Amino acid sequence: MRSLFEWVDALPSSIALRESLNAYPTMLTIHVVSMCLFAGLIAYWDMRLVGLTLKKVPVSNIPTRLFPWALTGYGINLITGGLLLYSQPMRYYGNFYFWAKMALMLVAGINMFWFHYATYKSVQAWDQGREIPLNARLAGVVSLVLWAAVVVTGRMMAYSGLMPGWWNNLNIGA
Amino acid sequence: MMQSFFEWMQGLPFSAWMLEETWASPIIQCAHLVALVGFAGAVLVVDMRLLGRGLIKTPLNQLARELDRWMIWSFVALFVTGAPQVLSTALKQYYSPFFWWKMQIIVIGLLFNFTIRRRVAFAKEGTLGHWPKVVGFLSIGIWTSVSVYARLIGLLS
Repeated sequence: MRSLFEWVDALPSSIALRESLNAYPTMLTIHVVSMCLFAGLIAYWDMRLVGLTLKKVPVSNIPTRLFPWALTGYGINLITGGLLLYSQPMRYYGNFYFWAKMALMLVAGINMFWFHYATYKSVQAWDQGREIPLNARLAGVVSLVLWAAVVVTGRMMAYSGLMPGWWNNLNIGA
Repeated sequence: MMQSFFEWMQGLPFSAWMLEETWASPIIQCAHLVALVGFAGAVLVVDMRLLGRGLIKTPLNQLARELDRWMIWSFVALFVTGAPQVLSTALKQYYSPFFWWKMQIIVIGLLFNFTIRRRVAFAKEGTLGHWPKVVGFLSIGIWTSVSVYARLIGLLS
């Protein structure tokens, strides 16, 4: 894994991106704005499942009407995030919060797919009602917590001096 | 006068504490970002509806009334977590043009929201012609600009 990161780090296009004055601020700004689009809409979908808001909106309306926008935000987020990683792979390789964010995104994705292919199949039975099944509410809570943690770990990536002691002892970034 | 006010803010014991306490700034910045997501979602769901997108089967005024409190409380959270950051880096903010542009657009955004946007979103649908679309577009533009300038304060100041 390390050699892959080192290989990318030495690529001329990675170096060019890293040395560009405007690339990093542009990519990071688009990353934050697209995060607002994706995470903002997903947060209200999750809160609908939990029963915190939008209670009069049929549950099935949200995936059909809001998910295309949320996924657009996610796509832009992935592209800009990928470019940020591509431009400074060795900065992120030894960063605990980067790997924590990747792991949290993976778990959030698994939770999303599990919900979609298991619990959501019975949505017609609870679409209009205020009583959401426990499994759906749990999926909403888990998703809210996981995406909030993704946002937090994403922000914490800037604090390379605040990584856990046990992580530093592994000397991964050395 | 404004500069001396910012120097006073920078010199407060709280500002010094924020800078000295290792975890204070990161925790507040993370909370600020989570509040931003809450605010953005509440604004976007209504603005997309104003544009004729998103949750079009739900009456606009019902959606706007329900999300109004989420928008207000998220903004309160943004203010509560944003103010300590301004206090602790007051002079950096003072000399950043992005900070002043952000503040100006926030004032415009708040005035716009509590006058025009709220009136249009709470009105009976179909009575205002193309105005809902104009208002939705402007609202997204205003709050996106705030996010962009906020990010640029940290990156280019």
